[in-house]
Amino acid sequence: MPTSSADIIRGTADMLILKLLDVAPMHGWGIGQELQQRSRDALRIQPGALYGALHRLVREGWVRSYWQTTENGRRARYYALTRSGKRRLEIETETWHRLAGGVALILATR
Amino acid sequence: MRQLLSDTLFRIRALFDRRAQRELDEELRFHLDMDAAALRSRGLAPAEAERVARRQFGSMRREAERVRDAWGIALADEFVADVRHAVRQMRRRLGYTAIVVLTLGLGIGATVALFSVVSDLLLRPLPYAHADRIHVFWSDYDWRGEEYDFLRDRAGVFQHLAAFSTNGEPYRPNAASADGARLLPFVVATSTLFDVLGTRPLLGRPFDSTEDRPGAAPVIVISYGMWREDLGGDPHVIGRRIIVGDVPVTVVGVMPKGFYFPTPDIRAWRPLALDPKSPSYFNGYLTLLGRTAAGVRPELVSSDIRRIARALGSRFTYPAAWDKTRNPYALPIRTYLTGDVRDPLLLLLAAAVLLLGIACANAASLILARTSDRTSEMAVRSALGAGQWRLARQVLAESLVLAMAAAALGVAIATAGFRALVAVLPLGNGFGETVGIGWATFAAAFALTLAIALAASAAPMRNLLRNGGGAVNRERSEQGLHRGTRRVHGVIIVSQVAFAVLLVLGARLLIRSVDNLRAVDMGFDPHGVSTYTLVTSDNMSTDDQRQFFGQVLARVSALPGVRAAGITNRLPLRDGGYQGPMGIEGRPDLDGTNRPNSLYRTVTPAYFAAMGLRVRDGRGIDSTDVMGGLPVTVISESFARHMWPGQSALGKHIYSGWSGQMESLEVVGVTHEARLTTVTGQEPFAMFVPLAQQTSISGGVLVVRSLTPPAALMPAVRRAIAEIDPRVAVARIETMDDVVAGALVEPLRLRFFLTLFAGIALVLGTIGVYGVVSYAVSQRRAEFAIRMALGASPRRVLREVVERGLVPVIAGVAAGIIAALAVSSLLGRFLYGLGAADPASLGAAAGVLLAAGMAAALVPAARAGRTSPAEALRAD
Repeated sequence: MPTSSADIIRGTADMLILKLLDVAPMHGWGIGQELQQRSRDALRIQPGALYGALHRLVREGWVRSYWQTTENGRRARYYALTRSGKRRLEIETETWHRLAGGVALILATR
Repeated sequence: MRQLLSDTLFRIRALFDRRAQRELDEELRFHLDMDAAALRSRGLAPAEAERVARRQFGSMRREAERVRDAWGIALADEFVADVRHAVRQMRRRLGYTAIVVLTLGLGIGATVALFSVVSDLLLRPLPYAHADRIHVFWSDYDWRGEEYDFLRDRAGVFQHLAAFSTNGEPYRPNAASADGARLLPFVVATSTLFDVLGTRPLLGRPFDSTEDRPGAAPVIVISYGMWREDLGGDPHVIGRRIIVGDVPVTVVGVMPKGFYFPTPDIRAWRPLALDPKSPSYFNGYLTLLGRTAAGVRPELVSSDIRRIARALGSRFTYPAAWDKTRNPYALPIRTYLTGDVRDPLLLLLAAAVLLLGIACANAASLILARTSDRTSEMAVRSALGAGQWRLARQVLAESLVLAMAAAALGVAIATAGFRALVAVLPLGNGFGETVGIGWATFAAAFALTLAIALAASAAPMRNLLRNGGGAVNRERSEQGLHRGTRRVHGVIIVSQVAFAVLLVLGARLLIRSVDNLRAVDMGFDPHGVSTYTLVTSDNMSTDDQRQFFGQVLARVSALPGVRAAGITNRLPLRDGGYQGPMGIEGRPDLDGTNRPNSLYRTVTPAYFAAMGLRVRDGRGIDSTDVMGGLPVTVISESFARHMWPGQSALGKHIYSGWSGQMESLEVVGVTHEARLTTVTGQEPFAMFVPLAQQTSISGGVLVVRSLTPPAALMPAVRRAIAEIDPRVAVARIETMDDVVAGALVEPLRLRFFLTLFAGIALVLGTIGVYGVVSYAVSQRRAEFAIRMALGASPRRVLREVVERGLVPVIAGVAAGIIAALAVSSLLGRFLYGLGAADPASLGAAAGVLLAAGMAAALVPAARAGRTSPAEALRAD
């Protein structure tokens, strides 16, 4: 079991989900898997937080959802990035880089 | 604003959108299945994979709830969860919760019960048609037959006029029974009574104008209660004959259920035959009442009443001392029936509402403290998007649970304690039987409870909604909550203390008032005395009665433990009036219409010893004072002093009786002044005359002084009476102590309730102050620690905390005193020997509250003074 420190940092979840959806529309479970694999198990998101975030993003209008059949023939809710979601992702990415750069500078202080 | 609106709309939609729920469930189910499939593909057995997936996923339900929570959807099952949560929270603080629920319940219970009584007695329609048109004339039980007959033709705005009086005779529902007869209390009235009241009998008819004439065959209209209980609800009761006194009487009507007149203990109505040839035609013993025509305005009624008084004055001559025409008025019948109980009832209801107010303040304070305790938790959760709605809902749920528990308890208290409450309320004459808790009252209790829940959660909810916004900063939110909390706490304490001051003051005033009443010298000794009211039938001759009384006295005096037994016509402090005009020897100035009135008490020789009435001059009534001997009387001290100032009254004469046949009585003794009519107020003159010298006797009260406790003696006396003559009813058995207590019953009962309420109020107020001060201390612990580390003395910290804690208490005491002064005139009428604005009592009430507030503040203050610097670090 991953420890709680591996849980995703609050506030960054939205950005990461938007980023993954920018690659391709996915269902919720797929997003969780992608997140874990691409971060090489460094990041994990609890289902409650994941779906909470997804529904919030839908409400904000950055993500839209639709029902579709998966390759194994099951019905699943898929999520896709909207145009305003794309803009949001750009803003969040830029903010993150600025923030991370600042943190790195401080950590580099001797 | 737009954001808030669309947010709200989304939530409302989500709330009703069942499809959204189903889709969420399906989505989560899919997720779980995929997890399980992935585990299976790694080689786990299907069942095991399902189990592990489920564990990793957490309970589906909880996850769904977490998601929904972020939506902010209030589902019914979430509400249940909220309620469960609330119950859990309460169980964690069981002591305080118990106190709040208990006191709220008590407040609700007392208010509901008292409100039921008030609404039934003071608001429920009277059992008469258009009762607002019925008015009762002044001078209760004081009108003469000749006056009624005179007024009948001059009734003016009164469509119908009636005269009545109350009476009672022995009645044995079951003649075969071995029990002695019991008393049948009834009204004698002119046949017009039924026109005035406008109520038709359930069965049969009222008696009519051919039946209220001298010599008419005796008839009776009976109450529903008498019909059901004594006559078995016989459907053919009309025309049946029952024996009242010794006379067969025909039942002509049964009144409907719920009808009463004038009081619910009256069981029947009989015709009053006014006979100008009878001496009683000139006695004042009647009450007059009339019904006005429809649409007559109140001003018209009072001006017509004045006209009636003038007419009376022109026809009859009234002595200056009791001129009936001087101050005429007509009372609406409701005031006449319930005027006496109205004020004490409203006072008690007000006290119960005050108590409820304090209990509400306590509940609000509890909920506020609970919310504030969880500020950090709430701030974090709100930052995580849990939404202030969810938190506010939780606060509301807690208040609702608290209020519902209290309501359940309150209704239980009101229902279980209702009869007991009614029994100790200063009602009387059977009015207690007519009241009950109705559905309206339960509804009122429910509404009240909801209002309490909302009121109690209003302050914390407002704080939450104001500070719990999405991007909340923990520090800021906490500060905001605390500032709001402090202000609300201040208001709560001020009102709580003010209410408590009012209740403590009320209790204090009544305690002192009752002490004053108790200190009054009754002039007789009620301890160890039992009394038996004997009712004989009207056609038992005076000689038979005298003989019967003689036998009773002989038998009872011979009972072991009995020291003295006497008979009187009226018991002190219970049986009131019966005064008549007297002529005084040597005072020609007091003749004619100026004759003084005196109470007229017929007694047997041992009555003085039995009652403990002391003779100060001369002698008491003697066994030699019999018919044919010198007619004698023993008079009261004030009577003697007033009539013959500076001389001995002994040997003087008093003339008594009705015009034409005056009888001369020689004064042979003077008693110490005794309280015969009221505990307070001016005692009328009194004279005692020998029973043996009376030409007409109608019943009497047996008074027995014994060494054995009165209660132990009662069965033996009752048996003796039944054995001598089973036709005589023992209407009432009471100890003289109870009779005296009965005269003080209203102040005693008010004192009981106010003391109880005040005690509870004091406890609640103290808890409130304690809670608020200790909360403030816990909030400022870090500050205290730092200040003490920097050299502030513990004493200084302690003083500051106490001072701060006392500010709202002092404000509350001031507000309470101002309120007390404002309502002092309302309380004044219940007091004896002191005013409602009595400075000593005000000071005492203020002192008690200040002391309680001080004590409540000292405990947490002492804790503040002991704060160690290390705690400063831990606190943040």
